[in-house]
Amino acid sequence: MTLSTSILLAAAMFSVGVYGLLTRRHAVAILLSVELMANAANLSFVAFSHFRGGATGQLFALFALAITVAEVAVGLALVLLLYRTYGDTRTDAAKELRG
Amino acid sequence: MSLPVGALPLEAAPIPAFVALFAPAVAALVLAAAPALRRRGAPASWVTLTASLLATAAAVTLLVTQLREGGSHVWMASWLQINGAGVGDFGVRLDGVSATMLLVVCVVATCVQVFSLGYMHDEKPPAFGRYFAYHALFLFSMNLLVLAPDLLQLFAGWELVGATSYLLIGFYYQKPSAGQAALKAFWITKLADMGFLMALMVLYKTTGTFRWDAAVTAATATTVSGLLFFAVVGKSAQFPLHIWLPDAMEGPTPVSALLHAATMVAAGVFLIVRANPLFAHAPATRDVMLLVGSGTALFAACLALVQTDIKKVLAYSTCSQLGYMVAALGAGSVFGGFFHLATHAFFKALLFLAAGSVIHAVHSNELADMGGLRRRMPVTATTFIIGAMSLAGIPGLAGFFSKDLVLASVEGRYGWVPFGALMATAFLTAFYMGRVVFLAFFGEARGHAGHAHESGGSLLVPLLVLTVPSVALGWVAAPLAHLSGATYELHLVGVVPILAASLGLGGFALAWVVYGRGTLVVSALAPLERLVATRAVNRVYEVGYRRVLLVVADVLGWIDRYLIDGLMNFLGWSAVAGGRALRRVQTGNAQDYVFAVVLGAIALAAWGLLP
Repeated sequence: MTLSTSILLAAAMFSVGVYGLLTRRHAVAILLSVELMANAANLSFVAFSHFRGGATGQLFALFALAITVAEVAVGLALVLLLYRTYGDTRTDAAKELRG
Repeated sequence: MSLPVGALPLEAAPIPAFVALFAPAVAALVLAAAPALRRRGAPASWVTLTASLLATAAAVTLLVTQLREGGSHVWMASWLQINGAGVGDFGVRLDGVSATMLLVVCVVATCVQVFSLGYMHDEKPPAFGRYFAYHALFLFSMNLLVLAPDLLQLFAGWELVGATSYLLIGFYYQKPSAGQAALKAFWITKLADMGFLMALMVLYKTTGTFRWDAAVTAATATTVSGLLFFAVVGKSAQFPLHIWLPDAMEGPTPVSALLHAATMVAAGVFLIVRANPLFAHAPATRDVMLLVGSGTALFAACLALVQTDIKKVLAYSTCSQLGYMVAALGAGSVFGGFFHLATHAFFKALLFLAAGSVIHAVHSNELADMGGLRRRMPVTATTFIIGAMSLAGIPGLAGFFSKDLVLASVEGRYGWVPFGALMATAFLTAFYMGRVVFLAFFGEARGHAGHAHESGGSLLVPLLVLTVPSVALGWVAAPLAHLSGATYELHLVGVVPILAASLGLGGFALAWVVYGRGTLVVSALAPLERLVATRAVNRVYEVGYRRVLLVVADVLGWIDRYLIDGLMNFLGWSAVAGGRALRRVQTGNAQDYVFAVVLGAIALAAWGLLP
């Protein structure tokens, strides 16, 4: 495994995340896609750290993981509120900002 | 606080000056703030009358002080300052001119108010109270104008008297003609007042003050004095803006006596007297004044010859006499103009009040409904005849002295044309006053005149009081002139006084032959009557209004509506249309926004990758 294959893997994961973000209608699936994108970034942090030396990148990855946990908690709370308000967890339901 | 050079702080001003100014103001405020008091009528009249008597007493005190000490004093406090310099000042200026004018105004106002007690007696109490509230406001405004230390305060008083004039002309507001007359007076004087406003702007722009004695260049003096004179033409009813004054006779007769004969219309003349330092540097303006004044004097006298309404005769006579004053000021005789103002205030107020007494008795303004009143109303008849003789310039009476002074001042100017016009006016004045006297007081009674009886005390006392200055004021010309810083020499023997006196007597004699004995019919008056019936000057205004002003207004209105408003409407419409188009982008679907973010990121990445 080389740096370039790691970066390619990270890019692929990120693209899958973006695709999921754009296409899925279910709020939990969208959250999962966002996680995928975040972890793609973490992967590239770890990869750079591993192949270039130095621990900063891995520290950042750990830091980001901690933040992601908080983010997921907020995201799930939003999903819960979405369900309570519209009786549905699909994002199509909330279209009140339509011009 | 910095005051103009030579000005003392306001709190040091003499108490009578404050009394003269604020006693009527307090009365007006009380009557405005206490409707219950005002609507009861009689108490309101006592409030106003008390204020007027206080103001008169104060004016007497001030004049006595002025006679004893002389000089000119200014007390000021500024209410608007720019860079530490007072721009808007409130104050009091006392000198011979303002002290004399103050007394004239207060005495005539008090006489008119006493007269009104009887004359307006049949009004309902609320209307009676309203009438006296207006009178209190008028006296305050006029005193504000008279005591003004600079042009700005004079302007404030000027506008306030204009407003009270509007209110009092339209006093019988149930009558459509009174409402129209009030509006006409208001609009025409307001048009002229624009001249005053522009004069203030020019004066402030060039000198930084509103003082009439500011140092100015000849060009500025000409501009400012010309603009001020335009305002005077409106206020003092000079040709061609005189047309509001005859219509103003729709107001109650005492109002005509006070505002539209003695004081308010004379404010224009007073302004020129005050602003004389400016006019002295503007020979061009004074030439115009001389021509306009003498022209108006003759023109209005001709119109007065054929009026059938006794008040209209007196109204045109007022125009004519104001023309005398303006001509004298144009000729450079400040005291001549001012002295004629003072004597005219008394004898014209007397004439109007006596006419009011007649109207009160016969319930008509028309000369055709009078006649033979000399026997039925001896006091009114005597006082009216004395006033008429004073106006006609019969030797010994007040009008003779002031008219003589005016005539002497224009002697020889412009190839004697103004002089000739004023001499002819003197003759016509005597003739039309003789006509009124003989038609109203002599001959056979017509209409209700046979049942007329003499008016009561409150109508007669003011007449008797006003008779005194109408007769005697001429004999104190010398001290008055001395007060105003001028000199006066009584000369009874000379071409001018003898010619003027004989023209006055001749006018009366001719009137007696024509209207007293009826042995001569003046056929020359018939075409004049037809000419007056065409209302030529009013017609010019009407045509000018319809054909010129309304057309210009329509064109400007079209430009405003379709070009200027159109541009604005287009801007508004394009914003709305743009918004309507752009709102389609806002789907409300969160993923569409994400899609836009992703597209943006790709675009940024592509931009970064470009060479």
